[in-house]
Amino acid sequence: MFLSIFAGLFIIFFLTFYIWHQAESVRIGYETKDLEDEIERLNDNIEQLETQKAFLLSLDRVEQIARQELGMAVPSENQIIFEKDEKDLRQPDQ
Amino acid sequence: MKNSLQRRIKRRTIFLVMFSLVWLGILVLRLVQLQVINADQYRNIVLKQNQNTIEVIPKRGTIFDRNGTILARSMPNPSVCFRSSDGETLSSQWDKIKKISVICGLSQSNLRIIRSKIEKQDPFIWIKHKIDKEKAEMVMSLKLNGIGLEDENKRFYPQGKLASHLIGKVGMDDNGQSGIEYKYNSILLGYKGRSLTFKDGIKRDYQHEIIEQPIPGKDLILTLDETIQYIAEKELAKAVTTHGADWGIVIVSHPGTGEIFALANYPDFDLNHPPSSSESWSKIKAIQHLFDPGSTFKIITASAALESGTVSFSDVFDCSKDLKKSGKIFRDHEKFDMLAFPDVIIHSSNIGTIQIGERIGEQNLFDMIRNYGYGQRTGIDLPAEEKGLLHPLEDWESISLASVSIGYEISVTAIQMLQAINVIANRGVATRPMIVKNIVLNPEKIQQQPYEYRRVISEDIASQLVNIFQQVTEVGTGTAARIEGYSTAGKTGTAQKFDQATGSYSSSKHTALYVGFAPVETPLFSMVVVIDNPKGLYYGGQIAAPVFHKVGRQIFRYLRIPPKPVPPKRLITADNRRTPEQ
Repeated sequence: MFLSIFAGLFIIFFLTFYIWHQAESVRIGYETKDLEDEIERLNDNIEQLETQKAFLLSLDRVEQIARQELGMAVPSENQIIFEKDEKDLRQPDQ
Repeated sequence: MKNSLQRRIKRRTIFLVMFSLVWLGILVLRLVQLQVINADQYRNIVLKQNQNTIEVIPKRGTIFDRNGTILARSMPNPSVCFRSSDGETLSSQWDKIKKISVICGLSQSNLRIIRSKIEKQDPFIWIKHKIDKEKAEMVMSLKLNGIGLEDENKRFYPQGKLASHLIGKVGMDDNGQSGIEYKYNSILLGYKGRSLTFKDGIKRDYQHEIIEQPIPGKDLILTLDETIQYIAEKELAKAVTTHGADWGIVIVSHPGTGEIFALANYPDFDLNHPPSSSESWSKIKAIQHLFDPGSTFKIITASAALESGTVSFSDVFDCSKDLKKSGKIFRDHEKFDMLAFPDVIIHSSNIGTIQIGERIGEQNLFDMIRNYGYGQRTGIDLPAEEKGLLHPLEDWESISLASVSIGYEISVTAIQMLQAINVIANRGVATRPMIVKNIVLNPEKIQQQPYEYRRVISEDIASQLVNIFQQVTEVGTGTAARIEGYSTAGKTGTAQKFDQATGSYSSSKHTALYVGFAPVETPLFSMVVVIDNPKGLYYGGQIAAPVFHKVGRQIFRYLRIPPKPVPPKRLITADNRRTPEQ
């Protein structure tokens, strides 16, 4: 008799644990998925901002703003002074 | 009484236990039926309802210029899709599609394809790829069950028109269709993966399992310099529009390595909104368009003359009379008298060059042309490069030696002309032009692309030729290319265009050319300028050489290389003039 009751209780306990485990797995699954999505979204955001920066700094756009909005012009030859320190000279790496 | 109660309790307990056991037995039997007997059937139903295997599209590699500026990058972009529910009728599914068809801009043929997929009970259907974000929000605001968004990648070019032909475009399927995007497609594309998504009762994703990891495409670092490319494009556009030309090319390279700093084709197009006609975006004229090089080809004739030893610096040629060869009369662009060998090249005399060609002979000239790489691809890492047209020596006619000496009866590409001037700039060594500098295998490992060199002419002869081509920009036909404060060398060219309709060279259509490099001592850049069919003025020295000057001057400024001070010209005044009496 005692054994039967114990077996019944054990089964009930086991089923309860199983259901709890399943529910918890699903909950953690949701949480993990949300965090993975968040990481992916942030990485995408970083790339999007880098690309937007490249777009905003595109030379065509910068020249248009400089000329049309700021009234700037290309300096003439006698308005340019070159730096003397050769270490600062910018050259394409070869 | 007590015994009767105990019996009743015992009976009820036995009944309860028996009932529990029977109930448990039924459960076990049902479990066996579900898990063993009908396992496959139910597994398939569950998999269909709760799991979804989807292809994971890898992210296409980014293209950078040599300084790390982004030229092309793939960004996530929503696409509209439809997942049908079990038991949903076809008409209900079709109604949902019709509701979003206007927002998605679906054509009749799109709708027909979607309908056939619905009829085939396809569980996942793409409705519209890469839709605008605003439209995607409008679709989602309708809250139609089964209609959802999936992120795909869309190529974005932050620099818009910059280097449009060179970079090329990609199609809707993320595959490159032209330019670097096409040539390096397999490297940029990566490999697709597969993922398994688990869904709950209301079709929410709660678990993702990657079955096959996608491999993202590799990034490319080009030899291109965004600023030099911008300068070249701006000046080329100005020259083409000012002279009413049909189109133009400017290529700037580093002669020592063959690295291309800029490759401009005009007219260009916006890579984010490419024109529908593939003719406008698919052809890279700089490596595919063939033209007669005209006088720029005298670089090769002069090289052959000195290398073969058939002509020396002090040799003088009579350039006073027009030359008649096989019934064709060859003239100069101005009247000359007797010209020494260097002056023939400096002043670009056709009559003098033809006489030089005759001294060289067909075989020597042909060998030198082959040595320079004409009739062969330069090996630049771009798709569909043309070899040019060099007739085999056996096919040369009596007039061919004269024609080829001055750059006719031969067709070349702009990149071949750049390679030729690089031979002079490098004191006799040819370099393979290259566009991709590095492939980024992973953040820690970069694969550098190899440089390739081969000697074409001896260093001594190349140095002598450098002096001649420097004189071209100082006192010859290329003075408009000279940049004050910097030493320059180059060669002008003006070629009559071959008219396919008449089968002869046109007297009204020309190609204006200039090839050059600077500074002469340690060349930092070389350049080829091609302006096709300019109206009005048409000489290379008038149309193409000024483009070299303008682009070159700005490159020196950008690289912060100061000009060498020009010594002031002494003024002769009454005070310092010597008189015979003094």
